[in-house]
Amino acid sequence: MSDAAILKLHDLDLLSREFQDPRALARLRKLGLEIVQPEVLSRARARLLATVDRRWLNLYERALRRYGRAVALVRDRVCQGCFITLPTSVTPSVSESLTLCESCGRILYWR
Amino acid sequence: MSMTIGLSVLDTSLYISDLRPKRKETALREMVARAALAGVVSEPLVLEEALLLRERLGSTSVGKGVAVPNARSLAVIDPRLMVARSRRGIDWGSSDGLDIHLVFLVLSPGECPDESHHEFVARAVAVARLQRNRQKLLEASSFDAVASVLREASP
Repeated sequence: MSDAAILKLHDLDLLSREFQDPRALARLRKLGLEIVQPEVLSRARARLLATVDRRWLNLYERALRRYGRAVALVRDRVCQGCFITLPTSVTPSVSESLTLCESCGRILYWR
Repeated sequence: MSMTIGLSVLDTSLYISDLRPKRKETALREMVARAALAGVVSEPLVLEEALLLRERLGSTSVGKGVAVPNARSLAVIDPRLMVARSRRGIDWGSSDGLDIHLVFLVLSPGECPDESHHEFVARAVAVARLQRNRQKLLEASSFDAVASVLREASP
């Protein structure tokens, strides 16, 4: 799996959610940072989905539906989604910086 | 998460006194590369994509030769404001048709809430809106002078 694709998907979904919130849109409009082509997001998401491994995509979508954010950062071995300390058995490999939080099901990003 | 334009979000290694590219995509790429070099970004390509995607939704030019590209991304390690000037100007697709001479790149980590990120962006925009601030920033001779203008201009 491309770790970067999951991170890009996360960032894209953050942006999408921001632009679905009328208050956020009003704030941006006031700043002169209007969104004129929102349809770009759905097209970009569709393209990105084609690059993500299906198993990870299913895990991603499930966590997204449940929590609103599917990827959680790991800081000092603590999942920043559910704040559980991760067991030493959960450690990223050299080739993959993503793992799954066995407690909350979010995808973990080890920076 | 407080987002004042203070010492915590300014960094001398994130200041570009003369950005050379003429196209905004290349300019953003150069700024991201600089941010990665400074250790502010873990995955430069992820951040680059987030910034370019934001530009495709609508230009982040706020007029008068200033652009405020911005992103919330997992690739950003800490909130940072990156400042770049361009003598020749960058084609940013601005609605007023003006080339961009001043870029405020606002970077927030992915875990940052919408409101905090927007507040951070708003502070950069507020600085850019005043002609005297723009003038001082364009004439500043060093990063310290730029940082001083930003600190004075932002409450």
